[in-house]
Amino acid sequence: MASKRTRAAAGPRKLGAGKRVENKERTRKAILKAASELFSRKGFHRTTTKAITRKAGIAEGTLFNYFRTKEDLALYFFQQQLSELMEWFRRNKRLQRAPLSERLFAIIHYHLEQIGPYEEFIGAVYLRALQPTSKLSPLSLQAQEHNLRYLGFIRETLARAEEEGEIPALGDLGAYGFALFHAAMITYWLQDQSPGKEDTLALLDRGLKLATSILKRGDWAW
Amino acid sequence: MVKGERPDGAVHRGLRMGKLGLSLTGSYLGYQLQNLFLGAEARKEKRRRFGQKASRRVREELEFLKGPFMKLGQLLSMQTHALPHEAIDELANLQMRAPGMHPTLARAQFKTSCGKYPEDVFREFEEEAFAAASLGQVHRAVTRRGEKVAVKIQYPAIRTAIENDLKVLRSATLPGRITGHTPGGILDEMKRGFLEETDYINEGRNIDFFREQMKGFPYLTIPKVYWDLTTDRVLTMSFVEGETIAPFLETRPSQAVRNRIGCRLFELYLFQIHHLHALHADPHPGNYLFRNDGRIGLVDFGCVKRFSADVAELNRYVADRVWLQGQEQLERMIVLIWGPNVSAAKARKMLAVFEEFANTLFPLPGTTRPLVDFGKPTLLNALGRNLRTAVRDRLTNPEFAFISRAELGLYNLLHQLQARVNTREVWNRVAGPKWGIASKT
Repeated sequence: MASKRTRAAAGPRKLGAGKRVENKERTRKAILKAASELFSRKGFHRTTTKAITRKAGIAEGTLFNYFRTKEDLALYFFQQQLSELMEWFRRNKRLQRAPLSERLFAIIHYHLEQIGPYEEFIGAVYLRALQPTSKLSPLSLQAQEHNLRYLGFIRETLARAEEEGEIPALGDLGAYGFALFHAAMITYWLQDQSPGKEDTLALLDRGLKLATSILKRGDWAW
Repeated sequence: MVKGERPDGAVHRGLRMGKLGLSLTGSYLGYQLQNLFLGAEARKEKRRRFGQKASRRVREELEFLKGPFMKLGQLLSMQTHALPHEAIDELANLQMRAPGMHPTLARAQFKTSCGKYPEDVFREFEEEAFAAASLGQVHRAVTRRGEKVAVKIQYPAIRTAIENDLKVLRSATLPGRITGHTPGGILDEMKRGFLEETDYINEGRNIDFFREQMKGFPYLTIPKVYWDLTTDRVLTMSFVEGETIAPFLETRPSQAVRNRIGCRLFELYLFQIHHLHALHADPHPGNYLFRNDGRIGLVDFGCVKRFSADVAELNRYVADRVWLQGQEQLERMIVLIWGPNVSAAKARKMLAVFEEFANTLFPLPGTTRPLVDFGKPTLLNALGRNLRTAVRDRLTNPEFAFISRAELGLYNLLHQLQARVNTREVWNRVAGPKWGIASKT
């Protein structure tokens, strides 16, 4: 009997925990939605935590249960974008068959489309990232966790091209190289004054085509 | 440099163009030097060999570079004597092309220009381009209302690339400008032309103009512009059915069909010269679409040349051999082609070559064979000789050079079709006395 009661009691308790996790995730997303809207409209610096809580419809104290600082919020923003990018990329069947230069183009272009509305915010994050104490600095452990996830995804994309003989084996170096190129492209995009930022598109296309064709020929070997 | 890959940036293009210039100049100089030591027979052979080798090299280099350099190749081939007529023939077929875009880039560029992705605007949109166009590529699509259209998308930032190239060209052509073989104004003219060509709104207006003006030709199709789906970098037009010359010839059209098409091409050309004073300019074969029932489609109106009535007058002079009618007419014609400052002796020397060309294009009335057989290379050769003499003696007037390029393109096309055309009959119909096209003399 006792054991039956325990099992019966365990059921609803487990369900409650799941619901709590679900609720927590929903609140987290609501905060992110409110924050990203404000970041997009007002920028990173001028968005106060008070404004975020008001927009998300939560108590100010609740926000700190989820994100201790605005930087934590920014990191979460990037994690969510990366998940979305990876999911979109893996789902896109045509792209899986496309040449490597197009696949890599699509990754950076999708990312630029994601951050398009948050130009000011991204610029501010870049400046923040230069401070060694910032969680957004590439050296911070939190940022590295995010970076590793990104590098893993790129590594997986390059590995397929390596297996299919499209490029020679680059190992992890290829993913690091691409990450640097990706960061450089975002910097260029931030500065790009051309109509519709089309200079970025041209540079991205030519840069990747040149790089992949050099790799194909094996001229990179030393 | 990676083989098969386009060099990027003004510096690389400059270096490569410099190399081409050097290798050409080098071998041309070498050829000139050897000339001093060779007898007449050997000289002739040597010149022929040089011509073939140089023209091949030029085409290979230019095809590699694409972009504005290719256009320069075409223009310079008319403007300098660096290239013999074998090269001119090769270059007449080149077209300014931009690098190809993969579907992701084409889609991104569409959004950059139109603010929305193609799938948000069209019912259907083919991701892969079906044709290359000057400065971009063309995709098939279906509008929300179900109309078949062709969507031309420009390669991103091509305008900036062209501006960079022109900067390099300014220094690259300095020697030509100093010697007078490259008239100084030609670079400004090129710049104006290129930048106009990068503006698809301008092209749309050209299409509207030609469509309206040439609606009287039932066999001719000129696309309709969809202005609500057109920007300076994206041009949406109704889809024109037909094949370009090479695949069309593979369908083995009968001689009658080829003659009919040839006759119509000649008619359209004369109509533009005499009645529109504007020419659907690029004489590239890809701009003409043919069908087995003899219908013709004209596409790609990026480069339209408008000119003075003098060109029409000149055309009339050729048809009527006006220079044989008296001294006054002769002098007027010399001024028309070579400008007022040319020496009479030089011009007279040219006339013999010119007459040969005129006799081939418009056989004298009463000739037993009124049909001009474009399948024979006679006319192209005569035009080539004409141009070479003009260029060697620096007699080239830019307007005349342009029209020669267009003519060369047309005759090349007629030559490929192996069409037989009663040119005199067409001329009388389109531009003859009943039109009252008066000469200014």
